[in-house]
Amino acid sequence: MTDITEHTAARPQADFLRRFSMRDAGTLIGLVVILAVFGALVPGFFAERNLINILQQSSINACLALGMTLVIISGGIDLSVGPTAALSAVISASMLVAGVPFPLAIATGFALGLACGLVNGILVAYVGLQPFIVTLGTLSSYRALALIYTGGNPVLGLPAGFRAIFNGSLFGLPLAVIIVAAVALIAWIILKKSPFGEYLLAVGGNEEAAYIAGVPIARTKIAAYMISGLLAALAAQILIGRLGAAEPILGNLWELDAIAAAAIGGASLMGGKGSVIGTILGAVILGAMRNGLTLMNVQSFYQLLATGLIILAAMLIDRVTRGRG
Amino acid sequence: MSVPRLQFDGISKVFPAVRALNDVSFSVGAGEIHGLLGENGAGKSTLLRVLSGVYRPTVGSVLIDGQPVTLNNPVAARAAGVAMIHQELQQVPRLSVAQNMFLGHPITRGVFVASREQERRAAGALAALDSSIDPAAPLGSLKVAQRQIVEIARALLDSARIVAMDEPTSSLTPSEFERLAEVIAGLARDGVAVVYVSHKLDEVFGICQRATIMRDGVVVDSIDLAKVSEKAVVSMMVGRELAQEQHRSHASGDVRLKVRGLASAKKVRGVSFDLHRGEVLGIAGLVGSGRTELLRLLAGADRASAGTVEIGGKPIRLSTPRDAIAAGIGLVPEERKREGIVPLRSITSNMALASMGVFAPRGVIDHRGLKRVAAEKMKRVNLRPFLLDRPIRLFSGGNQQKAIIGRWLAAGTRILLFDEPTRGIDVGAKAEIYHLIEELAAEGHSVVVVSSELPEVIRLADRVLVMRDGAVAAELERASLSEQAIAAHAIPQSETQAGRARYA
Repeated sequence: MTDITEHTAARPQADFLRRFSMRDAGTLIGLVVILAVFGALVPGFFAERNLINILQQSSINACLALGMTLVIISGGIDLSVGPTAALSAVISASMLVAGVPFPLAIATGFALGLACGLVNGILVAYVGLQPFIVTLGTLSSYRALALIYTGGNPVLGLPAGFRAIFNGSLFGLPLAVIIVAAVALIAWIILKKSPFGEYLLAVGGNEEAAYIAGVPIARTKIAAYMISGLLAALAAQILIGRLGAAEPILGNLWELDAIAAAAIGGASLMGGKGSVIGTILGAVILGAMRNGLTLMNVQSFYQLLATGLIILAAMLIDRVTRGRG
Repeated sequence: MSVPRLQFDGISKVFPAVRALNDVSFSVGAGEIHGLLGENGAGKSTLLRVLSGVYRPTVGSVLIDGQPVTLNNPVAARAAGVAMIHQELQQVPRLSVAQNMFLGHPITRGVFVASREQERRAAGALAALDSSIDPAAPLGSLKVAQRQIVEIARALLDSARIVAMDEPTSSLTPSEFERLAEVIAGLARDGVAVVYVSHKLDEVFGICQRATIMRDGVVVDSIDLAKVSEKAVVSMMVGRELAQEQHRSHASGDVRLKVRGLASAKKVRGVSFDLHRGEVLGIAGLVGSGRTELLRLLAGADRASAGTVEIGGKPIRLSTPRDAIAAGIGLVPEERKREGIVPLRSITSNMALASMGVFAPRGVIDHRGLKRVAAEKMKRVNLRPFLLDRPIRLFSGGNQQKAIIGRWLAAGTRILLFDEPTRGIDVGAKAEIYHLIEELAAEGHSVVVVSSELPEVIRLADRVLVMRDGAVAAELERASLSEQAIAAHAIPQSETQAGRARYA
């Protein structure tokens, strides 16, 4: 026994490597392969500017995908992230245009994201409706609210000061990338180091067993949806900061990219399995591919096809390499 | 000598990391009921998977009536006359009984499923087993025991030449087993070769003529059961002698748990009892008598409709399992896969699940402390192999059970509720679980054991409550414990005459 405790305690490095699972290593190899292919085909793909571009283009999807990962791990799904973002965006934007102080406008946007997630979570956890149907319903409802609120028109003319917040950069990296990296770190800590992370994995892995073991099922699920809503709101702030305007139709089909990134990263739609590192890598894979194809002047139809194929390829590799229990 | 109906000829099965079967040869004649014995991991399940076409052997062949057969997939095995009855029921709860019995090969009229015809034939097959089962009822509405019977009836329908049964009785009551034994004998009379896997030696001795004993993927011996003792078989299975333990009571006079008039909307109707410090309280009764439901009430998993529960003289509320855990009560559930383990998570995570507050006092899990406690508790329950980071699904049933027990030890639970603690667990691990339960009692834990296996109840319990129709029919002290005494109280009065004879 002493043998075992000493071993594990004495090797934090080995510990870290073990945490970086085989599945994540697979996703990383996938990313390396894609980078290598585009590096060979596209001149200037590896230019520092372009690499930063890829990260920036991936950041919004990564942000959503992190929340999506937590929800998927809990055994659910959140289809309503795009409309949640849109609702948060138009409300924050119209407050900003009306001259409300930035912190208040941003906080209201975040609160709205949390509220959207709360509604999803309550319907799933307390009412007992299926996550897919619940968030399909709120997907339409939240979108409708955003459209009704704005009358279908974009909110234009956001103050330059606000835009500067999200368009700034730090250590040569766009602030958006740094924000999302920080969110990823927090998500990683939540999943690996907090009871909530264990609860998420247990609820998604076997809800009945988790219940008997005293896991607060409803609270865990609701928290997952609220985090997803909050991150959708964060993505919305980043986007309207970049664009200087908020459209009620913003975030259309965002949920699909977020699910794709999580799935490429190893999250199982059956619940109980998923990885923060994998999801980030998955989002960068999607971003790098789109960036590369765009630089190659490939028609967007083919880009869509490539996205589809990469998801299917990731799932096939997953299936083939998964060892027998 | 005639050609055996079923013959395994030098079968080996090698997986990337392990040799699961090594040169396995034995044969089963037509009309023979052949026991297949061995601990978990001995290779029985792998061999059955070879027979049912799930695995292809690396070397060797299966012969049916002297002809080598290629069993590349389950459909081929079925076509060759092999019917498999699984330990884990492979059924679809939403579909009807008849639909389940014809799953994969429905009777059709044109492009439509002939539901009436299916139900008629299903009823015919079920009549031999349990005529109370309605073929049109959704399978999910049946009790586990009845679902098992449906599974067996499904094999009858296939009019198989070879029937392999993997622990078919693990959830049957003695009287249901009796009926099953008759059915199996009937199959044998019709010339079917039956391969019967069970951990319950008394059953195997009761219905099988010969048995093959496996250990670590090889055949130890094929024996004539009339000529050996149960004890000899057990030592062949585990490869060593198992000490026969005597019961020792550690119960004290202090009442720890006081239950009065506890009732639920469903099955429990006014149960009262005291549980003492260091006591092992057995709860016997037929499947459906409310035993599991009573434990779920005490564990906070279901809500009581009436009654009180006191711990140390203070009334407690049991609305959720969290309430029960806070009060020091933990449930080791019957259906481990469904209610016990989180399969993809490690032993350590599964253990820690009920005591996150302890391991994460400030909201961040102290992984070092957690590892230390996990190592200590898993050493205590003798987890094997001792791999704490390995997903729990890769462990045998017995070791999964040990991890769940460890979960409650880590949570500082003082009252442990066991529902069928050794269901689906092999002989060696079973002895360990018994030992553990006794040690827990000796340390002052209070234990409740619900079990359908009367020898188990008698082996463990200081005192036994016999339940019938949701109420306590009798309370038996250690001195007056016997299988007959328990059976006499467990069986509803109208059935007593017939039932007593069967149960005994």
